[in-house]
Amino acid sequence: MGTALNVVFITLLVATALLAVFARDLLAAVIIFSVYSLIMALMWQRLQAPDLALTEAAVGAGVTTVLFVVAIFKTRRREEEEED
Amino acid sequence: MKKVTALIFIAALFALLLYVVASMPTMGDADNPTNSSEVIKRYLEGAEEETHTENVITGIILNYRGYDTMGEVSVIFCALAAVLAVLGREKRGKIYAYTDRSGVPPSVIVKTMVAFLVPFIILFSIYTILHGEVSPGGGFQGGAIVGASMIIFTTIFGLFASSERIPQKVRAPLEGSAVIAFFVVGVLGLIGGGNFLTYAWPDISSSLQPAVVVWLTILVEIGIGLGGAMVLISILFSMIREEEEIAAAP
Repeated sequence: MGTALNVVFITLLVATALLAVFARDLLAAVIIFSVYSLIMALMWQRLQAPDLALTEAAVGAGVTTVLFVVAIFKTRRREEEEED
Repeated sequence: MKKVTALIFIAALFALLLYVVASMPTMGDADNPTNSSEVIKRYLEGAEEETHTENVITGIILNYRGYDTMGEVSVIFCALAAVLAVLGREKRGKIYAYTDRSGVPPSVIVKTMVAFLVPFIILFSIYTILHGEVSPGGGFQGGAIVGASMIIFTTIFGLFASSERIPQKVRAPLEGSAVIAFFVVGVLGLIGGGNFLTYAWPDISSSLQPAVVVWLTILVEIGIGLGGAMVLISILFSMIREEEEIAAAP
């Protein structure tokens, strides 16, 4: 049971990591990355590190996602910039 | 050609990482090097008696490795200083953010839920900070949760309402509170007759000693929590602000 859950988590981790790299849309990549952080928090909890799980959930899935989204909203594509 | 080289490099790195993972000790094995180390044994057996904290992780971070943690919070503070030096702080009466001018205002349901949830999130973070020595969590985790709750509030209600509630003159002195709390507790230890950052007053009667250690540890935890929260909020505010003359609060 426990091993099966580990396999599921690691498969999801690898899948989300690859999706985040290959996503064409930056916003989608950031959201997938926050899913990666959430699964990572569950992994920390399974490895009996609740302190790290709490930090990963608050900082990794919460704060950095918002900061990445803000950074994307404040930048523009190069093509749009050249039209101005 | 370039792609082939990169592919070969990645494949080699992949094989190397797999090899390293395979040669790692198995989890929970009694013969692991960590179980035979003297340091781990001392931490696990002596932490409760020496640091008077029931959570060994808090004992290690704040007591055994107090100097290390003090350096870490200084690094976080320096990172904030660098971010603010690049982006600049917001000025009063001249700020708005992308969300304030957004054409799609948040719905009543979202606004009500956020206004209802934020006090409870802050209550949970206070619990996390104050119970750091008995349960998982502590200053940094609690502070990150406060910061996250204020970030939710800012994205829904806008930068203007948010910076009215936590004005810059409140945030600026509190940003350094993590480092300051460490120094204050260290010096309090010196005043009580102990060494710097030992959380102990040797001159005081031994029955009061555990209470002194617990209260000094909680003081450091509160300092780290407030400092961490303010650092996260300040970074967000300086990132999302757009400066322009605006008449009144929207």
